[in-house]
Amino acid sequence: MTAPVLTLQDTKLTLDGNAGRVDILHGISLEVPKGETLGLIGPSGSGKSSLLMLMGGLERATGGSIHALGHDLTAMNEDALARFRREHMGIVFQSFHLIPTMTALENVATPLELAGKPDAFERAEEELRAVGLGARMDHYPSQMSGGEQQRVALARAAAPRPEILLADEPTGNLDGATGEAIMDVLFGLRDKHGSTLILVTHSPELAARCDRVVRLRDGRVDADEARRAAE
Amino acid sequence: MSAAIAARIARRELRGGLKGFRIFLACIALGVAAIAAVGSVRVAISEGLTREGAAILGGDAEMQFTYRFATEEERAWMAATALEVSEIVDFRSMAVVDRGDVVERGLTQVKGVDSLYPLYGTVTLDPAIPLEEALATRDLPGAVMQQVLMDRMGLSPGDTFRLGTQEFELRAALVTEPDSAGGGFGLGPRTIVTTEGLNGSGLITTGTLFETGYRMRLPDGAVLDDVKAEAEALFRDNGMRWRDSRNGAPGVARFVDRIGAFLVLVGLAGLAVGGVGVSAAVRAYLDGKMHVIATLKTLGAEGRTIFLVYFFQIGVLTVIGVTLGLMLGAILPLLFAPLIEARLPIPAAFGVHPGPLAEAGLYGVLTALIFTLWPLARTEEVRAAALFRDVTGGAKGLPRGIYLIALGVLAAMLIGGAAWLSGIPTLALISAGGIVGALGLLMLSAFLVRRISRRLSRAKAVRGKTALRLALGSVGGPGGEATSVVLSLGLGLTVLAAVGQIDSNLRNSIANELPEVAPSYFFIDIQNDQLPGFLERAEGDPLVNQVDTAPMLRGIITRINGQPAREVAGDHWTLRGDRGVTYSTAPRDGAIITQGEWWAEDYAGPPVVSFAEEEALELGLTLGDKITVNILGRDITAEIVNFQVIDFSNAGINFIMTLNPAALAGAPHTHIATVYAEEAAEAPLLRDLATSYPNITAVRVRDAIARVADALAGLAAATSYGAAATLVTGFVVLIGAAAAGERARVFEAAVLKTLGAARGRILLSFALRSAILGAAAGIVAIFAGALAGWGVMTFVMEATYRFEPVSAIAIVIGGALATLIAGLSFALRPLSIRPAGILRAQD
Repeated sequence: MTAPVLTLQDTKLTLDGNAGRVDILHGISLEVPKGETLGLIGPSGSGKSSLLMLMGGLERATGGSIHALGHDLTAMNEDALARFRREHMGIVFQSFHLIPTMTALENVATPLELAGKPDAFERAEEELRAVGLGARMDHYPSQMSGGEQQRVALARAAAPRPEILLADEPTGNLDGATGEAIMDVLFGLRDKHGSTLILVTHSPELAARCDRVVRLRDGRVDADEARRAAE
Repeated sequence: MSAAIAARIARRELRGGLKGFRIFLACIALGVAAIAAVGSVRVAISEGLTREGAAILGGDAEMQFTYRFATEEERAWMAATALEVSEIVDFRSMAVVDRGDVVERGLTQVKGVDSLYPLYGTVTLDPAIPLEEALATRDLPGAVMQQVLMDRMGLSPGDTFRLGTQEFELRAALVTEPDSAGGGFGLGPRTIVTTEGLNGSGLITTGTLFETGYRMRLPDGAVLDDVKAEAEALFRDNGMRWRDSRNGAPGVARFVDRIGAFLVLVGLAGLAVGGVGVSAAVRAYLDGKMHVIATLKTLGAEGRTIFLVYFFQIGVLTVIGVTLGLMLGAILPLLFAPLIEARLPIPAAFGVHPGPLAEAGLYGVLTALIFTLWPLARTEEVRAAALFRDVTGGAKGLPRGIYLIALGVLAAMLIGGAAWLSGIPTLALISAGGIVGALGLLMLSAFLVRRISRRLSRAKAVRGKTALRLALGSVGGPGGEATSVVLSLGLGLTVLAAVGQIDSNLRNSIANELPEVAPSYFFIDIQNDQLPGFLERAEGDPLVNQVDTAPMLRGIITRINGQPAREVAGDHWTLRGDRGVTYSTAPRDGAIITQGEWWAEDYAGPPVVSFAEEEALELGLTLGDKITVNILGRDITAEIVNFQVIDFSNAGINFIMTLNPAALAGAPHTHIATVYAEEAAEAPLLRDLATSYPNITAVRVRDAIARVADALAGLAAATSYGAAATLVTGFVVLIGAAAAGERARVFEAAVLKTLGAARGRILLSFALRSAILGAAAGIVAIFAGALAGWGVMTFVMEATYRFEPVSAIAIVIGGALATLIAGLSFALRPLSIRPAGILRAQD
């Protein structure tokens, strides 16, 4: 069996809200082997996005442990987590989260610059061409359609060749055809770079394309099904 | 490495334009402009004083004497030292125009000059004839007079008037007098005649009150310090006072320095008000950037990189704001130079002065750093999770220690810089403490208002009162504008309230308190042989309530216990020039002796003196100390045997020194008198006394008070300008706060409309929340402003303080109205937008 890139042990998340403490995740244990495509599904409020945040080190677990590529994410401070992401992870959001004051090219080049890559812009150009946006490099997010913005976001996430790609409902804000196209790009990138892909989705079609699907309900794993063998 | 990347990202971020930073720029630019403008005017005047020093003084150096002309020895020294020596005589007198049935009298400051006057600068006359021609003796000696006195007395060139017993022919109006600012505060308009022409006036005799000045044109290369040292060594103990062109108008210079420094402090308060706006603008900007910051974190940016990204952006904006402010602050004085110069008694050197601009720039940069560092430090704490859920960065508590240390260092630099550069460190430190204290009070007030509003919004009493409940909920709710509005408005109002309190107190102390107790007239130069007749006329008048007289001499305190007085007590005002001295066998009626005993009526031992208690305390004098007073060139050393309370505020006869009569036996002197009379008795009394004793000068106290009040009104006007700059900044900050809240109001209005609220009700709710915040800020402002007013009046002006409710309430109502207007003007757009578009965009 391939060594896991992500290991969650009894991971818990409790948040303080205006209405008091809310338990989001109640002890999730999960292993994600290298190269696997894992779909996280479940009804709204089941904790899918929160689980993805914990995997990306964007949120701090309140219990249990999370190991990514052998590193204990729960033991790292904010800056160490940022460095870890810069070297090993790419993240795609439902709302794209492109930086509005930067062109498509600059958006994609930013993580490469942060990682100190001298050829940041050349690689960013290459990545944008790979997602079919060779002609839109100097456009600002506001000058692009939702589908194009998400492709820029994908290129940005994939540009540093991350071992782990996290995607939070990447087609949630797109129409069906555009969403389909984006998923082709996402899976294409995963295949090209051999990354481990974990995505949160509501879409059964999208879930069907994953190697494995974990269903969450009320912050717990409700079902864990392998759809096809990991390559 | 991370700095270079941060700079690149910052540059890209700035492409978004300066839209969110208009308030930031306005706050910094206004504060810097106000300080730079005040500083530039201050330096322009100082440079004018230096550049025109010789003309303002009337010579390269001047030796002054009181009551006497220079001795042969002194004249010989001056003749040997200077290329030219010009002698002037200066005194107060009454100009009299006798038209038979009507006799006009006007108080005037007379200057008797010689043929060399003026050594420097020029006298301008109307008609434009040479001064020499105007003063020449034809049938009568000639004279020139300021237009204001000519108008008052109905005189035109060619008319005659009398000074003492000498008739003069008025030849021209005096338009400019180059050395007018050097002489200090004159109580009457100027008349210039020749000293020779005054010989027959009977006004310059031994014992009468006059001053002489010997202006010297020194050879090129003469070192003023050396000449001064020599003159002082030889003649200082004879009562000689030295002035030179480096400090031609010390009174004006001191006044300009003080008022300038005070205005810079008001400007700094304005900058602090602006700082609150700057902080709010940066907070709002960073709130808007939350997703970008979180995205950068997601992409691997460390906290330090993020901090630098926004630090660079704020740095660029600060430089733009400071530059704008400096340009404005440099240009404004140039634009208004003619107006300012018209109100100054001296020429000012207007131009671009780097010193005050650098000072204003430094204050601007430090203020921007202080007020932005806290919100900037918070960027480090923004978690990438902000992309997933609506968290505001979890910014609670204090920033990291390093930022707190940096904040402390920056604040110390700002306060230390202000204390050092203003030249009035105590007032600067008190002001800084006041601003910090006011900010603390306002933060507490904002916290309480939010807590109380939150409580009240849930109270049963407000159920059904939707507009009020919404307003309370909004003020008390999370993410509201309550804190920034209360802080910015409150600090602005506090500064205004303080200035208002000081202004009202100053005006009141002049307008109300003095005239109630002040005499109608001061009479000076009453000769010994005139005193009985004078008293008979004055005391015999049934409408005269009280007449006080005292012998009057003038002397300079030269030594304290044998040591030069200035070495012992520094630059105390009692040592600066000559002071009135009197003698008496007994204390005056109602005198309060606080320490020691009065001498026996027949005391004939060594000289003894009664000294004013408060001044003695300031000079560090104790009973038994010996002071040496030079009177008419003669040193008298007297032992202090008692202290008495001297209250200068009653405008009566007050001397800081009273000697035993034997000590001054034989010294020529005159008498001073105060007459307290019904207003109806004033004119006839003056007419009779002036006719009988033409040499006596009468000073109408009401006129003198009006002149002092005029001078203070100028001071009040200057502080008002400073306050206005603060007010404008405060209003800009307010608009900023209102504008920052607009986005939230647009959404709120859309939701409320969807739920069925009519526009009127929404508007009422918006108005109520502005009123609540305005009132909270206003109440603190009244309290803090009154406290500041009390501090300044008590410790700086050394006057009594009384709370002035009208000024305070007007300022608070103004503040509440300003918030209301700013709030409502930004509420109109939200009300006019259809909800659908807003709500769709929020999805």
